[in-house]
Amino acid sequence: MAVIAFSTLQSPARRVLSVKTFLPLLAPSIVLTLFFAVPMGMMIGISFQSLDGGAPTLASYSRFVKDGLVLAGLGRTVVMSGLVAVCVTVLAYPLAYYLARSTSRWRTVVLALAIAPELAGVVLRTYGWLIILDDRGFINSALMWVGVIFEPLPLSKNLFGVVVGLTHVILPFGVLSLLTSLQGISPNLERSAQILGASRLAVIRHIVLPLSVPGIISSLLVGFTMAASAYATPALLGGAGFKVMATMVYEQVLFYLDWPFAAVMANVLLILMVGVAFIGSRLESRLNQKLHL
Amino acid sequence: MSTIDIELHSVSKKFGANRIVKNVNLAIPKGKFVSILGPSGCGKTTTLNMIAGFESPTSGEIRIRGTDQTGIPPEARKIGLVFQNYALFPHMTVAENVGFGLKMQGRSREEVAAGAKRALKSVRLEGFENRYPKELSGGQQQRVAVARAIAPSPSVLLLDEPLSNLDLKLREAMRVELKEIQQDLGMTFVYVTHDQEEAMAMSDRIIVMQGGAVAQEGAPADIYGRPRTSFVADFIGKSNILPISAVADAKTGNGSWRVLLGTAGMPIMAARMPGLVPDKARFCCIRPEAVRLADAAGALDEPANLLTGTIQKVVNLGAYLEAWLLVDGEITLKSMIRSSRLDKLAVGHRVELAIAHAAVQLLEE
Ligand SMILES: Nc1ncnc2c1ncn2[C@@H]1O[C@H](COP(=O)(O)OP(=O)(O)OP(=O)(O)O)[C@@H](O)[C@H]1O
Ligand SMILES: [Mg+2]
Repeated sequence: MAVIAFSTLQSPARRVLSVKTFLPLLAPSIVLTLFFAVPMGMMIGISFQSLDGGAPTLASYSRFVKDGLVLAGLGRTVVMSGLVAVCVTVLAYPLAYYLARSTSRWRTVVLALAIAPELAGVVLRTYGWLIILDDRGFINSALMWVGVIFEPLPLSKNLFGVVVGLTHVILPFGVLSLLTSLQGISPNLERSAQILGASRLAVIRHIVLPLSVPGIISSLLVGFTMAASAYATPALLGGAGFKVMATMVYEQVLFYLDWPFAAVMANVLLILMVGVAFIGSRLESRLNQKLHL
Repeated sequence: MSTIDIELHSVSKKFGANRIVKNVNLAIPKGKFVSILGPSGCGKTTTLNMIAGFESPTSGEIRIRGTDQTGIPPEARKIGLVFQNYALFPHMTVAENVGFGLKMQGRSREEVAAGAKRALKSVRLEGFENRYPKELSGGQQQRVAVARAIAPSPSVLLLDEPLSNLDLKLREAMRVELKEIQQDLGMTFVYVTHDQEEAMAMSDRIIVMQGGAVAQEGAPADIYGRPRTSFVADFIGKSNILPISAVADAKTGNGSWRVLLGTAGMPIMAARMPGLVPDKARFCCIRPEAVRLADAAGALDEPANLLTGTIQKVVNLGAYLEAWLLVDGEITLKSMIRSSRLDKLAVGHRVELAIAHAAVQLLEE
């Protein structure tokens, strides 16, 4: 969620703020400091601890860069998050476009349906996908019963299952970030293009897509960071067959009791996400300027 | 080839239960500057949107160059459109904006560039090709919007209040320019506005709309000089609209009608209105400039009503004075009188007035 705040902070007009304006922010600032900054600082501290209680050490960091299994997990996290970001954005785009343009009364229904899954909780939805994608799940049983396949298809405990589950979980956030951007494009621009002879497809290609690039970037960002930090879905749909950073951190803490190493992994994950978010939002504001929006 | 570019036959448009456009019949002649004039919300944009193909009529038929447009999408109608807020593509340069229509026609890069250059030349905006819309003034954006619409050489250009975002000075200059562009290109312009001065200044024909229906249609002088309803008389220019109690069809030598004004029934002679049933007339309209001082300087060489009025108020408008005159104890007439006659117009004075018979117009409703 840090990303959303990140990109909305990019307001073009920078106003000079007085002390008075900051006063209402005092309480949230204290809460954030207590529950966000303090644990973060502790995490950084823990990552330098040595397991036998000795002097601060870089041991966990050097172990991280040498540990092939962990690095593979990092790679899987990046690939998975990238795929989820793309899938979310591709699926969310037509939905957001419909929501931005439609004046029909179904609009509210579609919007509700798009957002409603968020209310059901991640674990519940992920179990839903497990029921569908599992080796003995709906798809595999149905196909085997019909006789199309004899061995279950590998639909879960792998990249595919996790990407499907996460895409579903994160889709509403993609829709919301694209919706803001698409709603900012005046329908008269599309009408202008149309009356100048552009087909529906040409309007999308020459007008809507280029003007919504900032929205696309913000949807990709939300998709990437939310996927990279997700735990429940990779844990349930990936399991032991598909470990990502989040599930590996959990393992280190609960099974191996190696808190310093877990802290190192968490910090690396955090740096990855902040880095991607930073580059992405810089790109977004550069584009916004270039598009003269 | 027909000389009518656009025809509307009994076109109506409903949004839900609201009838926004009511049974509109129009014929827009080729090469003419035609204005659709009416107050805000009377259905002008909706009518234009139906011609452009963004909305389809609930009933009725629209023909462009003789062809029924039912089911033909906007991109296939080959007409130009200029929006009130210009709707320039913010991510394209001026040249790309103006060349867009030609590019969509699949023209070569050179043809697109040449066409854009030509269109920019006709709106007098050369040398701005590489600017982005945000880097232009309102007036320049307006020109780009017009250039973009005319670049693919459509036979008809629709303009929806294109000048209303400009300040008064620029608006007046652009009126002249738009008219010149239209005449240079010989293109049919359908110009939507709620500004009656604008419509009067530019149009060959004016279509006055009221509540989704056509109230009156005709040449500007026609509409101004012979309004048919009190709505048109009131909307176009300034006017005195006075209730009449009866029309006595007393034919005098010149064929005027005798009308009784107000409740007191002051008799006055009015112009004969062909096609108007005298009994249906409820009001009459007298333009302020037709109310003159009846002395040597204001003498009329046509049959005129002679009245006496008391000056109640005088407003100096520079070249003209607006005088409010109380006639017959109950009727207030506004009059426009040249400022040189200020000495005649002291408040409280009684003055003799002359109003030509032909200047008293009976109104249907
Ligand atoms: N898509 C729509 N759905 C419902 N009502 C509409 C729609 N479009 C327009 N209307 C209504 O139709 C009426 C006429 O609108 P229209 O835009 O044609 O007016 P206009 O004459 O162009 O006014 P203006 O001078 O303010 O632009 C308005 O009352 C408006 O609320
Ligand atoms: Mg309008």
